[in-house]
Amino acid sequence: MFKVELLTRDGASIAFEADATQTLLEAAERASVYPPSSCREGGCGVCRVTKVSGDAELLSCSSAALSEKERAAGDILLCRSRARSDLQLTATFDQTAIGSAPEPVRTARIVEIAPQGSTTLRLVLQYSDDPTFGQAAQFVAGQYAELAVPGAPIKRSYSLANTPNWDGLLEFLIRIQPGGAFSGYLRETATAGAELIVHGPKGQFTLDESALAPRWFVAGGTGLAPALSMLRQMAEFADPHPCRLFFGVNRVEELFALDAIEALRAGLPQLQATVCVWKPEVAWSGFAGTPSEALAKSLKEEGPRPDLYVCGPPALIAATNSVAAAAGIAQDRIFSEKFSPAEGPVEKSTEPPGRRHLWPGVIVG
Amino acid sequence: MFCYQCEQTFRSDEGAGCAGTKGMCGKDAATADLQDVLLHVCEGLGQYLHHARALGATDAEGDRFLLFAFFTTLTNVNFNAARFVQLIAEAARLRDRARALYERAARAAAKIPENLPGAAVFVPASDMNGLLAQAGEAAIRKDAAIVGEDVIGLRSLVLYGLKGVCAYAHHARVLGEERPEIYAAVEHALDLLAREPKDIEPLLEEALALGRANFVAMEALDAANTGAFGTPQPTQVRVTPVKGKAILVSGHDLKDLHEILEATKDKGINVYTHGELLPAHAYPKLKAYPHLAGNYGGAWQDQQKEFADFPGPIVMTSNCLIEPQARYRGRIFTAGPVGWAGLRHIAEGDFSQVVQAALALPGFPEDVEEKTITIGFGRTAVLGVADKVIEAVKAGQIRHFFLVGGCDGAAPGRNYYSDFADEAPDDTVILTIGCGKYRFNKHDFGTIGELPRLLDMGQCNDAYSALVVATKLAEAFGVGVNELPLSLIVSWFEQKAAAVLLTLLALGVRNVRLGPTLPAFLTPALVNVLVEKFGIQPIGEAKADIAAALARAA
Ligand code: SF4
Ligand code: SF4
Ligand code: FES
Repeated sequence: MFKVELLTRDGASIAFEADATQTLLEAAERASVYPPSSCREGGCGVCRVTKVSGDAELLSCSSAALSEKERAAGDILLCRSRARSDLQLTATFDQTAIGSAPEPVRTARIVEIAPQGSTTLRLVLQYSDDPTFGQAAQFVAGQYAELAVPGAPIKRSYSLANTPNWDGLLEFLIRIQPGGAFSGYLRETATAGAELIVHGPKGQFTLDESALAPRWFVAGGTGLAPALSMLRQMAEFADPHPCRLFFGVNRVEELFALDAIEALRAGLPQLQATVCVWKPEVAWSGFAGTPSEALAKSLKEEGPRPDLYVCGPPALIAATNSVAAAAGIAQDRIFSEKFSPAEGPVEKSTEPPGRRHLWPGVIVG
Repeated sequence: MFCYQCEQTFRSDEGAGCAGTKGMCGKDAATADLQDVLLHVCEGLGQYLHHARALGATDAEGDRFLLFAFFTTLTNVNFNAARFVQLIAEAARLRDRARALYERAARAAAKIPENLPGAAVFVPASDMNGLLAQAGEAAIRKDAAIVGEDVIGLRSLVLYGLKGVCAYAHHARVLGEERPEIYAAVEHALDLLAREPKDIEPLLEEALALGRANFVAMEALDAANTGAFGTPQPTQVRVTPVKGKAILVSGHDLKDLHEILEATKDKGINVYTHGELLPAHAYPKLKAYPHLAGNYGGAWQDQQKEFADFPGPIVMTSNCLIEPQARYRGRIFTAGPVGWAGLRHIAEGDFSQVVQAALALPGFPEDVEEKTITIGFGRTAVLGVADKVIEAVKAGQIRHFFLVGGCDGAAPGRNYYSDFADEAPDDTVILTIGCGKYRFNKHDFGTIGELPRLLDMGQCNDAYSALVVATKLAEAFGVGVNELPLSLIVSWFEQKAAAVLLTLLALGVRNVRLGPTLPAFLTPALVNVLVEKFGIQPIGEAKADIAAALARAA
């Protein structure tokens, strides 16, 4: 990591860290520093700054955005430069031109807490009205939030299962972990009306909205939550993309949210859902096996290669990756979010091979 | 993809044009290619409508669709590839209907219907991949190697000018003003383009014909806006927020703004205009709403920061949308021709969700100290003081008028326009039109007698006003517009500006200074034509250009 110091025209000093693989603009945004930018591809010159000291690699860019003369004077473009050492930069803009988006921390009350299948809880929270954020629940479908119990050292991250809304509602599908701290709180202490602290929304596991390929979702257990959120958003926006869902649990009694999947069809008539049970000990007429096995079977069909959105335990991600590779799906068309074996998506896979932009400032794995 | 329709197109030593995976505006390759296919199918639609019209048969739905479809392809309007697949299917349906209309009309006139060539017989594929594979057939440069760059440049000028005409005409249409001559001109241009013309002269003539059609479109738009909302009056607009719930409305669509004002009546929500919608505050029927609270933010290219900071929902009613940032993606709505995949879209003017969002979002926590600017110097206001203006010119108090008009943009060279306004001598008047003014409209330019030195005439959509004022002043002084002590300093960005430029040329206005760069689709030979025929000049250095303008006038 290199240290970057950006001195604005009105004299403010803004520091962030950058590694050698990201552009300075990406590095800044990752640190919640949003300098002015427009094209983000070295064409408009909006992000031009002057290098005072240090070394940066300048990638190709348009001469209209950065003339030879400016280049000679030490100017670089934040969107087309990577740090090669610590850097000192001066900007032609004022501090007010730089956006900052501190991560929201809000309180919410439990509205509903209900078992779903033998191992899952559905938890619904409602944000309290907030002077900065109002009542609305703003997030991007697929993101997660970190929930904390006030006054207790209990904190866990869970994906949101619903869509952004103006009523302030947050829906989570939570796997009950025997001995898990948050699980214990939910089972034993939590009641409707209890207050929780919500950090976030966070995460970049969201739809690539501009892609045209069909969207296939592969979900293991409560990895269904972000898939549900994205599918529900597609339904809400009458999105025409063909889509499939492969959702699996280990045993029949663990199944949950089947009504929610069914309800999706009203807005997404094109949705094909395959519910998988890995070890169906009782009568089961659905797919017997894992979601990645069901995926492998479907990928044998003719048709355009889909984008894959995968969420679940590391083993499911790994299995899906190899199925996808065998079917000729490029690594950068697989978007995944791993669960830790504990609870919730605590380990975010933001830096896998296919790292790329979803939209400015957001990196998707 | 290949696109070079706007000023920010990618430029390098090898040439200009956005190619590769994404344009400078954020338009991706698939969307760009689908837009090309849509325009190609529209050419076919235009061909049949043109031929049908010659036989006295018209199809209002087809004509209106053309305006809308072209509008969606302007820079910064619609980025939603899936939407273009639907529009292509709709265009094909209307084209088939227009073919039937033409054939019926021909038979009724005892004529054998012609077999129209080119786009008329193009069959769009039924799925996305097929359509993308067809993009080559629809590309603007497809036969560049055969017809040469000058022809391609002029076809581009016609196509992009046409986009501007369509955008203006669409705005007028939604408020109920339609002119058959605009539709005739649109169809004529499409028919010409579909025949893949190879000669310079007819293309130049077509460009000027579109300039004239655009004058009609701007007249219709002016009639639509003033008819619906009254005549703009000089008005002080607050540019700082007031405490309370808030909605921000951007773009140009006065009708959408009006509907939002209606939907928020008595709900304790303040409505702010953003950027290009600033002139709305000058219309009596709009400014009568007490909750039309003010104007927030500057020109379109600053929207990512401004929208992120705005504590309420944002509605984009027409152009100019840029890639929405995660921080406000959930509370930005598109309407009409605008689109971005994954944003909520309001198709039928039902803004109830926006109202809900405004109530759920925090709004401004407190009043910010009041600051205002004065706007609303449309033709009626300026001509209302024409006597004083003429006297001041005769008495030597006003030496010159500068019309600093056109777009703003992100390119660094655009400081020229604020430098120009700041450097203009105290005995000159600055008229503004379009977004370029955001760079300097909060500066204090003082007055000449009782007349403010800075007169804001409105949006780019109000260029008509400026032309009427120029024509009336010329009449009053008994000279031609080119003999007036008036210089036009025009900044362009996208295709409406191209249409306005064609109008200026068609009306014989000379010596326009154009910047910050010349259109990439104009070859050196075409630029020469513009320089020789119309005296167009590129912008230089502000001080020197002012001196040259004053010297020419002296
Ligand atoms: S509209 Fe402008 S920026 Fe966008 S692709 Fe075309 S030329 Fe490039
Ligand atoms: S002035 Fe130019 S940039 Fe502004 S709205 Fe009009 S066309 Fe768009
Ligand atoms: S943002 Fe356009 S050059 Fe960097």
